[in-house]
Amino acid sequence: MTADATPRPGGDPPIPSGSIYDLGYRGYDGPRLGRRHAVGALFTHTLLSCYGIGRGGRAKIIPFVLAGIAVLPAVIAVGLVALARQAGQAGEFITDASPIRYETYFEIVGQIVALFCAAQAPELLGRDQRYSVLSLYFSRALERTDYAIAKLGGFVVALLALVLAPQIILVLGLTLSSPDLAEGLGENLPKVPPILAQAITLSAVFGSLSLAIAAFTPRRAYATAGIIASFIIPPVVAEIAREVTSRDISRWFVLASPPDVIGATNAFFFDIRPDSSVIAAARHPGELYLAVAALAVAACTGILIRRYQRITA
Amino acid sequence: MVSPWSDDRHRDSPEQRPTHLAPDAPGRSPRGRRRTEQHLATGFAPRSAADVHRPAPAARRIPYPSGVPLISLRELTKRYNGGVTALDGLTVDIEPGIVGLVGSNGAGKSTLLKILLGLIDATSGEATVMDLDVRTRGTEIRQFVGYMPEHDALPPDATATDLVAHLARMSGLPTTAARERTAEVLRHVGLYEERYRAIGGYSTGMKQRVKLAQALVHDPRLLLLDEPTNGLDPSGRDEMLELVRRTGAEFGIAVVVASHLLGEIERVCDHLVAIEGGRLLRSAPLDTFTERTGLVAIEVEEGAERLAAALVGRGVEARLDGRAVVVDVRDERFYDLARDALVDLDLALVRIEPRRRHLEDLFRDEEPGEVPAA
Repeated sequence: MTADATPRPGGDPPIPSGSIYDLGYRGYDGPRLGRRHAVGALFTHTLLSCYGIGRGGRAKIIPFVLAGIAVLPAVIAVGLVALARQAGQAGEFITDASPIRYETYFEIVGQIVALFCAAQAPELLGRDQRYSVLSLYFSRALERTDYAIAKLGGFVVALLALVLAPQIILVLGLTLSSPDLAEGLGENLPKVPPILAQAITLSAVFGSLSLAIAAFTPRRAYATAGIIASFIIPPVVAEIAREVTSRDISRWFVLASPPDVIGATNAFFFDIRPDSSVIAAARHPGELYLAVAALAVAACTGILIRRYQRITA
Repeated sequence: MVSPWSDDRHRDSPEQRPTHLAPDAPGRSPRGRRRTEQHLATGFAPRSAADVHRPAPAARRIPYPSGVPLISLRELTKRYNGGVTALDGLTVDIEPGIVGLVGSNGAGKSTLLKILLGLIDATSGEATVMDLDVRTRGTEIRQFVGYMPEHDALPPDATATDLVAHLARMSGLPTTAARERTAEVLRHVGLYEERYRAIGGYSTGMKQRVKLAQALVHDPRLLLLDEPTNGLDPSGRDEMLELVRRTGAEFGIAVVVASHLLGEIERVCDHLVAIEGGRLLRSAPLDTFTERTGLVAIEVEEGAERLAAALVGRGVEARLDGRAVVVDVRDERFYDLARDALVDLDLALVRIEPRRRHLEDLFRDEEPGEVPAA
């Protein structure tokens, strides 16, 4: 410090007058909010990262393109219905024949969700592993389990947003475009609980499964391939089993196929007959698929937590 | 000044008392001296004179009874599955100050830091930080510890501000405070202008500063630095060491610096803990090292052999090393003898400098494994 030092209150380093101020280092006396705040902050950060927010322009391309594709059928459907209502009686045919409904929407959007998982799950977990950022996280007052749970929560909520956005558009669009608002509400509101239930089930199963796979490798290509394989291969195996073996054996293969399980829970929640022949042939009660889904979520979450408890930071 | 630290722990002669803790030790700034006094008296440094009279906020105080070492290791052992023993029955106490943890590569320094942080579990033995067991109370410890890892731990697509603010929130700071602290800390480490660029474009020196910033952002009481000058050019090393020295000396933060570069560490540290092969070699204040042992190299333009012979003739152990004569300095008279020999032989002196080529050279006086009471 120079000779003309001006003492400052609080005992901070004196400011040399007439030169660049070196404000130096100050202590931090404020609140320290502990683990819960840290987990919440990581959750929010993960959720935003899934859509590339806060990560630069290029990171936003894939998620927003996929989200746009996911939402597009809903927008089209609402537009069609609005036009059809104006066409009067003939329009009823169009409305009833439209393949884009609440019940069918999850099947339409399922493949988009699979792509989203394959693209974003490796990014979420692999980036921290690849660059050894985990040592910066785990040297803080944040447990390893907290990290895993926060990442899982953020990813599942991101998927939920992806899956619910088009459904919300459908609900609002169909309600508002019906001639009588009360009638429109009466038609569409009862659909909301099954929509929510299926959305939560789908997000939880796909999300936990993708993260459980992505946690095991920092290399993005392997993780992406693994996730895609987990969506494509089991249904093929179930289909082959149905062709090749007897029904008593092949009906259990369906339970190991995530897209089929989700398709079955969709049918269960909306109380309709399942489209897929594999599911129909298996003839399990809907509750079983729901139980299998819950079990899968628990198992994948456990695998994820265990992986992060053992990984070397 | 009589403080709880010196009374409780050092019952031996005054030479054994660590000189770096004495408030009137040479080289301490007035501010550093005041901080040390408060630190010693209360166990944790208040931030200003006013704080001495005002009780500190509860969040900043953690139970840290006086008379207990800052870091205490008892028979700490770590064996890896492949049969590698990283730490072997390490037992040492570490007190606040700027402590250098030195040892060759593979001596167990990084492993020790990771065990203190709870990143690795020890195979056996005990370790406590601030009187908290690292196995059971790691979360509480980590609230007040900052860690600068040895390896490159930074994602290339994040900006320095984003990363450090995010990690500040991970340490429990509220969002607004995290942003403010991030800006302050980045300015403190000298990265203020570049903080909005992606880290991938930074030089090694800048990346090391980011790592130091994230270690400081939550205002830790203890800073663990693992090879902070790794990969830096000489001016970068000087700047980093100066940052470390200021952080430890002026801001009341206890620092442990792990390094295999003894020459650098002795410039900033006041206490050295030397580890070799996972065992404690020596733990003592820095001045005891330089007083009692040390090689000195006398480099002359020509005639080194004659100088060596002359010194040996006067009873000094000397050996030749190129154009230099390396002498093991045992007492003060050596310098007079050397001067006389140089004058008598009419040799042109280039330089006289202390030289340490091997870590073990420093400890040739002691039996390996002997721990002086310090």
